[in-house]
Amino acid sequence: MREILRHPTGLVGSFLLALVLLAALFGSWLAPYDPQLFHPQARLQGPSAAFWLGTDQFGRDILSRILHGARSTVSFGVGATLLGVAAGAVIGITAGVVGKWVDSLIMRLVDGLLAVPDLLFTLLIVTVIGGGSGHAMLAVAVAFTPGMARISRSAVLSVRTREFVQAATARGESRLYIMAAEVLPNSVGPLIVEATIRVSFAIMLGATLGFLGLGAQPPSTEWGLMISEARQFMFRNPWCVAAPGVAIAMAAMGFNLFGDALRDLIDPRGQR
Amino acid sequence: MIEQVDSLVSPSSQDARPVLHVQDYSLTYTTRAGPFEALKSVDLSVMRGRTMGLVGESGSGKTSLAWAILRYLPANAREGQGQLLLSGDDLRAKSPGEITDIRGRRIGIVFQDPSTSLNPTLTLGRQLSEVLVRHRRLSLKQAQNEGEALLARTGISRPAEMMTRFPHQASGGEKQRVVIATAFACNPECIIFDEPTTALDVITARQIQDLFVKLQDDTGVAALYISHDLALVSRIAHDVAVIHRGKIVEKGPSRQIFSAPRDDYTRMLLGAVPNPNIRLVNSVLSRQSPTILRLEQTTIRYGEKNLIDRLFGREQKEVVGAKDISFGVRQGEILGIVGESGSGKSTIARAISGLNDFSGTVALRDRAFHARQQIDRPYRRNVQIIFQNPDGSLNPRQRVRDILARPLKLYGLVPASGVDAKVEELLAQVLLPADFARRYPHQLSGGEKQRVAIARAFASEPQVVLCDEITSSLDVSVQASVARLLVDLQTRTGTTCLFITHDINLVRQLAHRIAVMYRGECVDLFDTSDHAAPERHAYTRMLLEAVPTAAGS
Repeated sequence: MREILRHPTGLVGSFLLALVLLAALFGSWLAPYDPQLFHPQARLQGPSAAFWLGTDQFGRDILSRILHGARSTVSFGVGATLLGVAAGAVIGITAGVVGKWVDSLIMRLVDGLLAVPDLLFTLLIVTVIGGGSGHAMLAVAVAFTPGMARISRSAVLSVRTREFVQAATARGESRLYIMAAEVLPNSVGPLIVEATIRVSFAIMLGATLGFLGLGAQPPSTEWGLMISEARQFMFRNPWCVAAPGVAIAMAAMGFNLFGDALRDLIDPRGQR
Repeated sequence: MIEQVDSLVSPSSQDARPVLHVQDYSLTYTTRAGPFEALKSVDLSVMRGRTMGLVGESGSGKTSLAWAILRYLPANAREGQGQLLLSGDDLRAKSPGEITDIRGRRIGIVFQDPSTSLNPTLTLGRQLSEVLVRHRRLSLKQAQNEGEALLARTGISRPAEMMTRFPHQASGGEKQRVVIATAFACNPECIIFDEPTTALDVITARQIQDLFVKLQDDTGVAALYISHDLALVSRIAHDVAVIHRGKIVEKGPSRQIFSAPRDDYTRMLLGAVPNPNIRLVNSVLSRQSPTILRLEQTTIRYGEKNLIDRLFGREQKEVVGAKDISFGVRQGEILGIVGESGSGKSTIARAISGLNDFSGTVALRDRAFHARQQIDRPYRRNVQIIFQNPDGSLNPRQRVRDILARPLKLYGLVPASGVDAKVEELLAQVLLPADFARRYPHQLSGGEKQRVAIARAFASEPQVVLCDEITSSLDVSVQASVARLLVDLQTRTGTTCLFITHDINLVRQLAHRIAVMYRGECVDLFDTSDHAAPERHAYTRMLLEAVPTAAGS
């Protein structure tokens, strides 16, 4: 952890991440107003002493809404990624361990799915199974699965040819033991790094779906939805679009930079 | 121009001045773990017509010095005071543009591995003539002719044809000849050779060394020859400098260093060089001892059919790793298997340990196996393998205790309560302290890791241990102690060993019999004492002649 803070990208990433996580955990207590409370006298106002980031078209305090929305946004990103990683890892590791035609079959399917862009893929899924934040999360997770499968397979393959695995084979160890005790502990590193970076993509995808009206539904305080709702009032009060936009950017950058720094530190070539 | 006039006027003063002069030079790398002193006030000078051998183990700073002289240092390098002079010119004061002009023209370099130092997408001729066009301002036509002449000088039989080839179409030795021709192309004042023969097999290496000596004699170039191989340096260098942890501990004329070394470290290095005349194994194997491991017509093929080829019923080319190998190993014997890389010696070990598919028979005592799938756990327990590189063969996420405890648990050798005591005993067997059990592999040195790997192999009290190049990734000084340890263990336990290596001097020290592999076939098998007998295979004789033994031995 200290190493990450010494890394310039890691420092910025950790700082942003800390801010976002703080908001996600304690946002509802920190918020000065109820996020759904209308202030009819003060609609579409700029920043002031009473409303630090201004108000939206119903006179709701933007700062309170952002602080409230942090939890759903972050948990969406983390949840979708975890689901995607879990599914992808199972598929990828199976392919890597079993090998032969099973591997060829799985990987050709995965390659086909990888050709579809993440956003398009999520949109397709949401169109089929319907909107709502639960469905959107599932859609993002499914869209992430092929990529994670590919990464976990390659992590397994690069470890599988190492000599300590051969040593275990030569000892007569069972396949299960080799997988669980020799291969897996050595291949989780790249998976964790990739997952951290992917949380940022998941947050952005979630926001995009919210913006398109396919994710969280009003009156949710999800950030993408906030932008979508405030879009038509953008010219009267730019703050109601800019503030959640910056929040999304901060969350995504935080995870992304943190993941980047993590990768640099785990990669042995980065040493010396 | 001025230099040339200068040299015409006073050739003697030019000769008296060293071509390459390193004075009080220090270099530090800043790393995450703090500053690392790579070179500590190094003094070194190479005169015209002389070869200076720079000998040191890995991490001693010998390659750092080469990079410093070429002014090609990584961003985290910090130079101390000190001078780097090329014929009196201060290299440290040169601008990057001037350095580019000096590299290749006044100072050349030959790297270890010709297959990585040549660009695979350009023809060899293009890479050679590039230097001539760039530095000697020749036209392409002239460069072509000059290039051919240079290649002919390095002993390439059809230079014009070689010029049109790509690196993958030439052998390792041919490629290294091209690299050497390139280094000599502009008649540089100084050439740095960084382990130029380490990546080549012994016979080619010997030819390249002979070529080096001849070219150096012809041209009178000042050469800095970097190597870890003392025996080799003793043969080709006029002067030797021994470098240890960034410090030159001893330097002087080659003969003096080898016959009367003054520094303890030099003495230790010299003592560690395998000397075939000193046997490590004193036991004599009786002819009566029974055959324990037997190979009959064992053949190993590589390459499996892929899905598409199988669908279309296409014939796939197979590579034969080793064919029709038949030999028996007697109980308590150390059988050495030697051969160049790709000769199939490791392939055999992998087949015996059940890692490669094979056809034919592998038999342990009276149990014969005809395919890899038949090999069972009792067999695996009795046949253990130790790999070349302990960095790869020890799981980096497991502590030494878990690594050593695993075979004990797997084969149920000791009750759970006795595991820790047994691990301690195993560590003691390989002369490691008991508290190493708590460490992770990366906290150990290369030699210590290899000891752990040896302990793991001997943990199951096997009847046969296969040692696949177990000393070749280690430094010379560590090599000797690991080899000695293995021999001690072998003598004490009476285990049969297959010792696979490319180091012929080493194998002559410890093997009872030697098998020689060449292109997947076992061409010779003889008692070590009969190595000079007239009935030896021609290839065996070439192999034995190609290997230098240390001067003074």
